[in-house]
Amino acid sequence: MKKRNLFIGGLFSLLACAALMKNWQHDQEPQIPIGRSEVIFWHFWGGEDRDVVDDVARRFNASQTEYYVRPIAMPGNNLQAKLFLAVAGGDPPDIVNQDDPILADWGQRGVIQPLEDIAPASEVAAMEHWMLDSARRLSTYQDKMYGLCNGLDIRALYYNKTLLEQHNLQPPQSISDLNEIANALAPFLSAEKKQRYGYIPDSRRLWAWGYVFGGDFYDASSQRVVVDSPPIRDALQWMASYAQNYGADNLAAFRKGDQSLPGKTFPLLPRNDQEMSGRYAVIMDGQWRVRNLAAFTHNRQARGVAAPEFGVCPLPVPNTSAGRTNAGWVNGNFFVFPQGAKNSQGAWEFAKFWVGYSNPSQAAQTCSQGGWIPVSKTVTQDPQFQNYLDENPLFRTFIELSESPNQFPIPSVAGAAFFRRTIEQAAFQAFNNSNADVDEILQEAEQQIQTHLNRNHNLRHGGHVDP
Amino acid sequence: MVGFVFLFAWPFAASFYWSLCRFDLINPPEFIGLENYRRLASELHSQQGFGLALTNTLYYSVISVSLSVITGVLLATLLSAKVKGQAIYRTLVFLPSVIPIVAASVLWIWLLDPESGMINYLLSWVGIPNQNWLNQSRSAISPAGLTEVSQWIHGGTLNLFGSKDALILMTMWGVGNFVVIYLAALSDIPGQLYEAAEIDGANLIRKFYHVTLPMLSPVIFFNLIMGLIRSVQTFASVYVLSEGTGEPGSSLMLISMQLFLSAFSDFEMGYTSAMAWILFVILLAATTLLFRTSKHWVHYRTSS
Repeated sequence: MKKRNLFIGGLFSLLACAALMKNWQHDQEPQIPIGRSEVIFWHFWGGEDRDVVDDVARRFNASQTEYYVRPIAMPGNNLQAKLFLAVAGGDPPDIVNQDDPILADWGQRGVIQPLEDIAPASEVAAMEHWMLDSARRLSTYQDKMYGLCNGLDIRALYYNKTLLEQHNLQPPQSISDLNEIANALAPFLSAEKKQRYGYIPDSRRLWAWGYVFGGDFYDASSQRVVVDSPPIRDALQWMASYAQNYGADNLAAFRKGDQSLPGKTFPLLPRNDQEMSGRYAVIMDGQWRVRNLAAFTHNRQARGVAAPEFGVCPLPVPNTSAGRTNAGWVNGNFFVFPQGAKNSQGAWEFAKFWVGYSNPSQAAQTCSQGGWIPVSKTVTQDPQFQNYLDENPLFRTFIELSESPNQFPIPSVAGAAFFRRTIEQAAFQAFNNSNADVDEILQEAEQQIQTHLNRNHNLRHGGHVDP
Repeated sequence: MVGFVFLFAWPFAASFYWSLCRFDLINPPEFIGLENYRRLASELHSQQGFGLALTNTLYYSVISVSLSVITGVLLATLLSAKVKGQAIYRTLVFLPSVIPIVAASVLWIWLLDPESGMINYLLSWVGIPNQNWLNQSRSAISPAGLTEVSQWIHGGTLNLFGSKDALILMTMWGVGNFVVIYLAALSDIPGQLYEAAEIDGANLIRKFYHVTLPMLSPVIFFNLIMGLIRSVQTFASVYVLSEGTGEPGSSLMLISMQLFLSAFSDFEMGYTSAMAWILFVILLAATTLLFRTSKHWVHYRTSS
């Protein structure tokens, strides 16, 4: 009995040692080459994108004799709180990648440094000029660059070309075209339960449609929120008309069904081999879906199953003169440089390397690997990226849109998170209440946001805010 | 003592001081007097921000705690009946309350799916049309809810339940915790009381009303207080159900969610501290009120 206990004890100790050794090996950080300084890089990428990020860091490290980047994947949730605590604790990372509209808030609070504090003014000015308008807007707060955009997210309309052709419909060029598609594939005001819709707007996308209809949510010159303006009212009224035509509850239930698809499949795609269309004929989404469509088509072709043809077009304009062509809501990823970081110079070099400021082919390789939109035409024009576009022709529309002057982000103001939340809540309210007065909803939202922004601004400057 | 000072007394005092400041974690707190409290009062009046969150919390707390008490007592009474398989039934009732909240929330997202969820399927058995649970901001117990029901009775549609009702339903699923306490209390009720009631000619309902309920009242009181505190602190399930936003239509913006967003999204630590203090005062007042009224309905057994 004693021997048996000894044997079992020994076996457990051995297993524990093996596990500890394995863990220890896993936790070993790569050795920083002698003579180089380390750059700590926080990002939130996971899955296959993380491999691309690691590869950029590897290529940068291989090109360097001075700096060594160590990427650290941080869960995206509450990254803000972690960074604030790190800055407050005096041990922030050197560079962080973000995609939430936080630039102004962080800049105002002094959590991040303006680029002019870490790079020569001439280089910052040249960088500003080198970038696309949309990328520059995402990097700027109060006419100063506080971040460096390294990838854009652009929305367009994906459509099932085969399905549209079957119904003698063309890709939409105007809002009335889009209404016609919606009505042809799922007639308005019919009580029949729909298995597929031509198109339905998403209440969260008032940002995109507001800009398309010619609206601006914020007037930077007067520092006023201008949400309750005719173009944004028109956009919201048009969106809400779909809820009235189909029933808000029906649409909400149908949308929820999109998320129940296995692996959150792109709902434009047919669910099985017998079908040639998915849950929608036309849907708004970002450039990352090009990858899904290519994989779907490849998979069907490899198995000898007929696949529908898909297309991408810009968001159609309203049938009034106020609309903007090639317009939309842009967001994206950007680098920021925390206050109190030990190696901001190394971080700046890494950020420049990533965006391809002096080496467009490296950035072209990164964007091709990740299916990301470059932030400068120099990178787009690189032969390597042009090859990528030839292989993925649907991506070309997104590139064209990214170069449009009519792509706008959420206004870069301190309080942008509140701004965003309030607009989306207002749109939800208008969308889900058929008796709602759109004008009243927007007025209320405008007043709430203005009060919030005033509070942020005035209290920062020692003023008083009337509630 | 050291633990008390550092982990309780100091944060308590600091949060009160911060409630009088503008503070964003990074920059030193800037004293602004009662500005944060004025803002809370204004939001309470306009039913925005804190006001809306308080109303949502009130709806959720009052209904979920009341239902938890009623369901808990009834279930415990049923489960105390000596029938075959009693242990299995008790286990089945208790089981959901040991499932981690995040896992349970994800499970409920599936169950409440408007198109393919099991809850709508079960409701369809009794003729109730599909409900939009987590996609709508409406509340069943409201004037609009009454209108919906009356329209439905007259042949109209029925869009009754919204996300807060979904949250209440999910909370009810975890009522097993309370049931265990009620079961323990039920087993402690002396059999002679029931025998005496029987001799006096009491039927089952009268025995329940005149013996079981008074004898359970100290435990009901305990569960009421704990349930109230727990309902106000509900966060994880709301976070998962609303994907960290308090949506749809701010209907899941409970106080805990509002605290979280204003603290860690808007970084308004002063305003958040003021909100937390008001919440503390409300909870204190509610608990005091319950204690004050308890002498009228809570019956403690005396040794004499």
